Amino acid sequence: MGIKKDLSIDFLGVRCENPFFLSSSPVGSNYEMVAKAFESGWGGVYYKTIGIFVADECSPRFDHVKKEGMPWLGFKNMEQISDKPTEVNFDNMYKLKKAYPEKIMVASIMGSNEQEWRQLAKMCDEVGVDLIEGNFSCPQMTSHAMGSDVGTNPDLVRAYSKAVAETTKIPFIAKMTPNITDMCIPAIAAMEGGAKGISAINTVKSITNIDLENMTAMPVVNGKSSISGYSGAAVKPIALRFIAQMLQHEKLRNVPMSGIGGIETWRDSLEFLLLGCRNLQVTTSVMQYGYRIVEDMSNGLMHWMDERGYDKLDDFVGKALDNIIPAEDLNRDFKILPDFDNEKCVGCGRCYVSCFDAGHQAIDWNADKRRPELNEKCVGCHLCLNVCPVADCIMPGEVKWKDGRQQTDIILKKNYE
Amino acid sequence: MSKVIKSTFISEAVEGFTPRTAMEEASRCLLCHDAPCSKGCPAGTDPGKFIRSIRFRNVKGAAETIRENNILGGSCARVCPYDRLCEEACSRCGIDRPIEIGKLQRFAIEQEEALNMTVLKAPEVKKEAKVACVGSGPASLACAAKLAMEGYEVTIYEAEEKAGGVLTYGIAPARLPQHVVDHDIETVKNLGVKFVFNTRVGKDITLEKLQEDYAAIFVGAGLWLEKLPEIPGVELPGVMAAADFLKKARKSEGTYNPGRRVIVIGGGNVAMDSAVSAKLLGAEKVDIYYRRTIEEAPADMAEFQYVLSLGISITTNFAPAEVLGTDKVEAMKFKGRDGESEAKVAVDTVIFAIGQGAEDMGSIAPFALNEKGLIVVDYSCKTSVDGIFAGGDVTLGGKTVVEAVASGKIAAVGMMNYLAQKEVN
Ligand SMILES: Cc1cc2nc3c(=O)[nH]c(=O)nc-3n(C[C@H](O)[C@H](O)[C@H](O)COP(=O)(O)OP(=O)(O)OC[C@H]3O[C@@H](n4cnc5c(N)ncnc54)[C@H](O)[C@@H]3O)c2cc1C
Ligand SMILES: Cc1cc2nc3c(=O)[nH]c(=O)nc-3n(C[C@H](O)[C@H](O)[C@H](O)COP(=O)(O)O)c2cc1C
Ligand code: SF4
Ligand code: SF4
Ligand code: SF4
Repeated sequence: MGIKKDLSIDFLGVRCENPFFLSSSPVGSNYEMVAKAFESGWGGVYYKTIGIFVADECSPRFDHVKKEGMPWLGFKNMEQISDKPTEVNFDNMYKLKKAYPEKIMVASIMGSNEQEWRQLAKMCDEVGVDLIEGNFSCPQMTSHAMGSDVGTNPDLVRAYSKAVAETTKIPFIAKMTPNITDMCIPAIAAMEGGAKGISAINTVKSITNIDLENMTAMPVVNGKSSISGYSGAAVKPIALRFIAQMLQHEKLRNVPMSGIGGIETWRDSLEFLLLGCRNLQVTTSVMQYGYRIVEDMSNGLMHWMDERGYDKLDDFVGKALDNIIPAEDLNRDFKILPDFDNEKCVGCGRCYVSCFDAGHQAIDWNADKRRPELNEKCVGCHLCLNVCPVADCIMPGEVKWKDGRQQTDIILKKNYE
Repeated sequence: MSKVIKSTFISEAVEGFTPRTAMEEASRCLLCHDAPCSKGCPAGTDPGKFIRSIRFRNVKGAAETIRENNILGGSCARVCPYDRLCEEACSRCGIDRPIEIGKLQRFAIEQEEALNMTVLKAPEVKKEAKVACVGSGPASLACAAKLAMEGYEVTIYEAEEKAGGVLTYGIAPARLPQHVVDHDIETVKNLGVKFVFNTRVGKDITLEKLQEDYAAIFVGAGLWLEKLPEIPGVELPGVMAAADFLKKARKSEGTYNPGRRVIVIGGGNVAMDSAVSAKLLGAEKVDIYYRRTIEEAPADMAEFQYVLSLGISITTNFAPAEVLGTDKVEAMKFKGRDGESEAKVAVDTVIFAIGQGAEDMGSIAPFALNEKGLIVVDYSCKTSVDGIFAGGDVTLGGKTVVEAVASGKIAAVGMMNYLAQKEVN
C-alpha cells in the first residue's frame, strides 16, 4: 500500500536500492543492529570503523545542545572506533552480506600506518564487502597517527588511499574531516592516491557545554572532559557547505559524493541530493529516534518526486549546485521590502524589537493599534521576516531598485515554512 | 461574569492547526516505541505512525497512513471521544498533558484536501463477486471502502437523499461540518463505490432482490427508532425525539426555528448535540434536564464543557413526569430523584434524547435479534442469515463513529473470507 517510486541509484558502480545508509558509528556496530536496520528499510550500512587498534572507551561519552526546549540540536560524542575485536567485526560483515545480498555493505577502516591500511584492505577484500570507506576524520582518537590528524595532512591521506587502492579493487571512499579550512585539498589528495569517491562530513571538534558543578566540559568523566566531535542537525549547514565547495571544484566536479551531517527527514536528504550527493549517511538522528526514521525519509521523498513528476533520483541529483555562486556574483541592485499582513499579525512586537536593536530602526511601533509600520529606513534585510512567529505574516513585498541600477526580471521566493 | 461563546449553527467550534502549530504539537510527541495511542484507537488509525510522519515533515505520508487505516479519518478527527481513546492512552499524560492527536489528525486530512492528494486507489482489475451495503453510515462506508480497495464492486443503498448516516443527519455541524463529511465520502466514491439514494431496503426494495444481484451484503442500518417516554402529553405538538429534531435541523442547513425556550431531556452525547443545535439555531433559552448525576451521565466531559461554554444550563436528578399544554406543549413537569422535589418549567419545544433503538430489522430479513432488537453477529460480523453481515450501531447498540468504522472493517474481512470460501466450493 501507499506510494511507490523507484529510489534506486548507482553509487561507484554499485546499485543501491535507495540512497539511505547508516554512517559508520554505533548505529551499525554488530550483526543484530545492522540486520534490524536492513529490515527497517535502510539501503546499506557503513559498518562501525574497524582498526587494528581496538578502542578503550570512556563513560559517559555523550552530550547534547538544546535551545528553548528543543533538545538534540547538536550532539557531542567522545567515541573512537570499534571496541570489538577486528575478526568479530569482519565476521559480522561477512554474515550480513550473505544474509542480505541486496543490501550494500561498506567497511569503514582506519589504520595507523601504511602497513595497517594494507592489512585492513586485504581483510575487506577477503570478506567481499561492496565498498570501503577510509576514516580520515575521527576527531577524538587517542593517537595522532589516526583520525582527523591524518585527514588534515594531504600527504598521509594520499599515501593511505594509495595503500588501499593498490591492495584491493573494491572502490575506496575517503571520509573527510570538517576540522579544516579547505576540504578540497585532502579530497584531491585522496583521489590522487586512488580513492574513487568522497564522503563528508565527520564530526566537528567541539565543546558543547561547560558543567557548572565540576567546572569542566560535558560530558564529565571523573571531573574532566575533552574536546570532541559534534554532529546532528546543527552541523548540516557545515556539511552542505563543504560538499558544495568540493563538487564545484574543477578537480572534484564529478566525484561520487556521499553526504553526511544532520540528516533526519526526507527534506534534509533531498537537500544533499540536490547538491549532487549520490549517497546519504545518517547517525545522530538514528541515535535519537531509531532506524524507523527511514520510513518517512523514503515515503516523503517519494511523495515529493510524485508531486514534481520525477521518476528516478538521477532526474534531480545536483539540481541546486549551479545556483550556488560566489558572493561577488550576486545581483545587488535591488532591495525587497517586507510586506506586513495586519490581519495575520498578533501584535507581539518582535519584529520591532529585532529591527531596532539589530537592524536599521526601520519599523515604527504603533502602540495604539499594536502593529508594526515600516518606515523609509528599511534596507530589505528580512530580519523581521525571520523573527516573526506567525506564518506568512511578514512576506517579501515591493521590489525597490537602487538609484541608477539596471532593472531586470528577478526571481522571488514565495513560500516560507 | 463568564464569557459565553456566541456562534451559529454552521460555524466551526474549534480552529485547526497551521503547519507551524502542527509541527509544534508533533514535536511534543515522545515518538513512543510501542505507541499506546495507536493501541487506543479502535479502528487502528495508527496515530503513533502518522504523528511521527508529521514530526519528520512528511505530511503526505501522514495522510496516507490515516486514510489507509480509517477511511473516515476526517470525521473521526472531529468527533472521536479522544479523552477516553487514543489521548487517554498517550504516554505524555505522565509528563503534562496528552498530545492533541485528534487535532493533528484533522490537520493531516486538511492538508490532504489542500494538496489535492488522492491517497487511495482501487485496483483496476475487479473481482467477479459484487457486494452491497445497506445504509451509508460510518459502518457501511468503512466496509465498502475496504472491499473496494480489494477490488470488489460495491453498491450502497441508502434510505435518505444523502450519504453519511449520523454524520450527515445527526451530529451538530459546529462539531462536524458537512464539508468534512463530504470530503470523507468523496474518498469512498473515488474508490468506485456506487450510491443508490432514497431507497429503503425492506420497503423500496427487498433484501431477497438484492441477494439475487450481490454475492454478499452488509447491513449498517444504525439506530433510527425514535424513543419517547410513556408519560402524559408526549403526543402534543412541540414534543419531539432527538433524532427527528437533529435531522430536521441538519436538512434545513441552519434555518430551522427550534422555538424560543427549549428543554432537552437526556444525559448522553445526543442530548448535548441537541441542546447545542437548538442554541446555535437561535433558541434564547436552552436547558438540559437529566434524571441522574453528571458522574453517571454517558456524555463526554468535553461535550458538557462545550455545552456550558454556550451558556446552556444542566439540571440533574430530575426526571420528566408530564408534558403540559392544550393545543401544544406549554410546560414540562419534572419529579426529583429524591422523591420530594418537583419542578414545572414553561417551554416551547421539548426534545427527548433518551436513547435510540433499532428499527424492526426482522422485517428486512429473518435475522436472529437480541432482546434490544439488535442484530446478533459472530466475531466476523456474520449474521444468522447466509451471506449477510452486519455492523455498527445496529449490532453494537449506540456506540461511536470510530467503533462503527472498526466493525465495518472487520465485516469486510469476514465477507472476503466468505466469498473466497464460496468460490472454492
Ligand atoms: C446526535 C448524535 C451524536 C453523536 N455524536 C457522536 C460523537 O460525537 N462521536 C462519536 O464517535 N459518535 C457519536 N455518535 C454515535 C455515532 O454517530 C454512531 O455510533 C455511528 O454513526 C454509527 O454508525 P452506523 O454506520 O452504524 O449507523 P448510522 O450512522 O446510523 O447510519 C445508518 C444509515 O443507514 C440508513 N438506513 C437505515 N435503515 C436503512 C434501510 N432499511 N435501507 C437503507 N438505508 C437505511 C440510515 O438512513 C443511515 O444513513 C452520535 C450519535 C448521534 C445520534
Ligand atoms: C557516537 C558516534 C560515533 C561515531 N563513530 C564513528 C566512527 O566510528 N567512524 C566514522 O567514520 N564516523 C563516526 N562518527 C561520525 C558519523 O559517522 C557521522 O559522520 C557524523 O556523526 C555526522 O553525521 P550525523 O549528523 O548524521 O550524525 C560517529 C558519530 C557519533 C555520533
Ligand atoms: S543507553 Fe543502554 S547501554 Fe547506554 S547507559 Fe543506557 S542502558 Fe546502558
Ligand atoms: S513579529 Fe509578526 S506578529 Fe509580531 S508584531 Fe511583527 S508582524 Fe506582527
Ligand atoms: S502515546 Fe502520545 S507521546 Fe506516545 S507516540 Fe502516541 S501521541 Fe506520541
